[in-house]
Amino acid sequence: MTTPALSHRLGHLPAGAGLTPAWRAVPDRPDGPWRLPVLDGPQWAALLAHLRGPARARLRQLPVREIMQAIDRTALALLEPGNPGLAGLLAELPAWTGQSPEMVRVNLQATLRLYRQSALQRLLAEELGGADVLDGFAARAHGGLSHAEGVPLIGHVWAGNVPGLPLWGLVSGLLVKSAQIGKVSLGEPLVASVFAQTLAQVHPVLGDALAVLWWDRDDPVAPHTVWPACDVVQAFGGDAALASLQQQMPAGVRFVPHGHKISFGAIGREALGPNRIQRVARLAAEDVVRHEQQGCYSPQCWFVEEGGAAPAQEFAERLAAALAQLATRYPRPAPDLASAHRIAQWRSQLQWQDGVQVIGQAEDPWAVAFHAQPTALTPGPLHRCVQVVALPDLSALAAQLTAWPRHLQSVGLALAPERLQPLALALAACGVTRLSAVGQMPLPAPGWHNDGRPNLIDLVQWVDLEASAEQLAEGLSRYEV
Amino acid sequence: MTPTTPSLIPDVLAFVQQPGTDDAGFAAMALRLFAHQFQHNAAFARYCRSRGKTPATVQRWQDIPAVPVNAFKDLVLSCTPPDQCERVFTTSGTTREVKGQHFHPDLQVWNASMRRHFADCVGPLPMRMVVLFPTEADLPNSSLAHYLQLALQDHGLPGSIHAFGAQGVDVAAVRRAIDEARAAAQPLALLGATYSLVHLLDQCPADDPGLRLPEGSWVLDTGGFKGRSREVPMDAFYAQLSHTLGVPRARCLNMYGMTELSSQFYDAGNERCPSVKRAPHWVRTRAVDPLTGQSVPDGQAGILVHTDLANHNSVTTLMTEDVGVIMPGGFELHGRAAGSQAKGCSLAVEDFVQAARA
Repeated sequence: MTTPALSHRLGHLPAGAGLTPAWRAVPDRPDGPWRLPVLDGPQWAALLAHLRGPARARLRQLPVREIMQAIDRTALALLEPGNPGLAGLLAELPAWTGQSPEMVRVNLQATLRLYRQSALQRLLAEELGGADVLDGFAARAHGGLSHAEGVPLIGHVWAGNVPGLPLWGLVSGLLVKSAQIGKVSLGEPLVASVFAQTLAQVHPVLGDALAVLWWDRDDPVAPHTVWPACDVVQAFGGDAALASLQQQMPAGVRFVPHGHKISFGAIGREALGPNRIQRVARLAAEDVVRHEQQGCYSPQCWFVEEGGAAPAQEFAERLAAALAQLATRYPRPAPDLASAHRIAQWRSQLQWQDGVQVIGQAEDPWAVAFHAQPTALTPGPLHRCVQVVALPDLSALAAQLTAWPRHLQSVGLALAPERLQPLALALAACGVTRLSAVGQMPLPAPGWHNDGRPNLIDLVQWVDLEASAEQLAEGLSRYEV
Repeated sequence: MTPTTPSLIPDVLAFVQQPGTDDAGFAAMALRLFAHQFQHNAAFARYCRSRGKTPATVQRWQDIPAVPVNAFKDLVLSCTPPDQCERVFTTSGTTREVKGQHFHPDLQVWNASMRRHFADCVGPLPMRMVVLFPTEADLPNSSLAHYLQLALQDHGLPGSIHAFGAQGVDVAAVRRAIDEARAAAQPLALLGATYSLVHLLDQCPADDPGLRLPEGSWVLDTGGFKGRSREVPMDAFYAQLSHTLGVPRARCLNMYGMTELSSQFYDAGNERCPSVKRAPHWVRTRAVDPLTGQSVPDGQAGILVHTDLANHNSVTTLMTEDVGVIMPGGFELHGRAAGSQAKGCSLAVEDFVQAARA
């Protein structure tokens, strides 16, 4: 069922560019009602000239506070029950992403809450010491002044299946007052389109500095026109897709890739006490279920320390029980044939290994494989399939991660306070870039350093007005004789 | 202590050689082999137990646990100890470095299975044959080399050759064989790996009269491209093959086989792609939901599972990596299941090899 409130025209073009694009069906859904804008060569040129020129110039005039308020109002509008954009997303996203309506609802709300004004203020405070450096020159502690000039045009390549993912980069780009052009994924082109369309209604100047489109990777025009016009390109995707994209980047374009990642959890023996193990296992299961394990931060494995009140195997069993329970409230979407085959193969391969216990039946909408001996981290078939590995001590954890120095991302921790920083430091050396509580893995804090990168600093150019200029200026004033 | 496989062999041989079978006959032999393999193959028995399946609980042949083909890479699936096996066939190792191994105490049943179904499905026979594949002496662990050797030995008329050298397909030898067949006014059969036929096509102009086979000839390809030649859609492949060789598509046969099986499947030509593949009476093929192992309704796509009663020493029931649809008279192949990619940002198992190499 489609909701009439949600436009079937996906994407977003700045009103001020005056473009009348052709519209075409979504390539993967030729019979569906959805349409994507198609530009010809002169239209691409006009769009990019508009974004880099007048649109960005007008955006640059706005104080950051006004931009933050507009983002806040946009997020609030989309959180408002009854908002047609929100209703449309809730109705349509399950079919696009394969996630259940319940999952779509909780994830969308969690994502949009990150863009409330107070969260944006904290992000600015943390990375740039506040908004002053964006609105003008701000004093430096050791003399002189500095200004953070957002690059004229940011390009984005977004991945599908984690609705809301595009918004991180988009919001960051707005804060630094850059014009932006984003390429949606055919897997999920809705959220970015609706956000941009809503933003344009809330504040036309912001909407006019933003374009959301799709083009084929091998399109003869778009990549060769868009990328040279960009100053920074942020891209999400698999290693192969990123490598081919990198080859399209002209020299001098700052390319910030976010590849596929693998995340896991570490459970200390102190978390296995009688009043604790059940709660921690439940939180671990929530981390697995949220986003159907599709997120870079979704755990694929739990390393559990032996020597606690309960054995690691009990954690595995409780995790399985929690996954079974969650499946009734958040049913697992049926995997397609290829995914089902991967799951079956993964299960079988574990079943014929010594020292591995596969909990649950093949037809269960989850799977837990328990390894009684230390086992290296390996990715699984997703779709709520996880491994639990017993370790004699968490000091043995780093040795299980050596295959993945460039692919590690988040770690969910359940540890006593005095162990947090030593283990975090050891994992940092392995390539891990984020540690959170178990239960919070798919809910990164506002302003997190995604893949270890800053949010705003990659998007700006620092401009220093040195103390010497001020000193010389003093001698050139009207009041100096 | 030699296990009891030898005592089973005469019964399996007799089963292969009988004219046909009914459901009850097939089920009885399948369950007997399952009990035997469960008893004599520890790795298989452990796998079955982990799924709660034993000879005591399995009442229908459809409930015998299907072993994924990649198990042949990780496990020794043999009732007879490998060192007492006369022959081991290995997979070509195109997807992973590790090769799957299929142990055969002797080749009596394998040969009987091949001979019976080949003679039933391929022909006319005998023929002058040109084999576009290495000889069995060159590739002793290749089931395909053995298969082609048997075909040539049993049905090859004088003048039959292997046209394959260190450089691959020997195009000059193929041309000579065609000339000789024409001079002798005899048709010719061209047999080989699909990629060898692509190599032959790629090295000759499409309208090369020297490559046109005499009237009454046929072609048999098998195995697909395996990354050893350019990938051609099957329809285009048969169109080009038929055009260049002058053999109607109805006489361009495809054999579907696997190192992990002891039997083969044939279509009745490729006028239409995908063609319907036929199994002999000692093999049954189902399309299943890989998670439940239950058959999907005929006409719907599932993962192909073969129960091959000629696999007396390894495992009767194999889960392939192929997507297929059960049709009247056999099944259609619809490609590999591994082709699709996970859509999210989480590294998934199919990226494993690629990432580990990066």
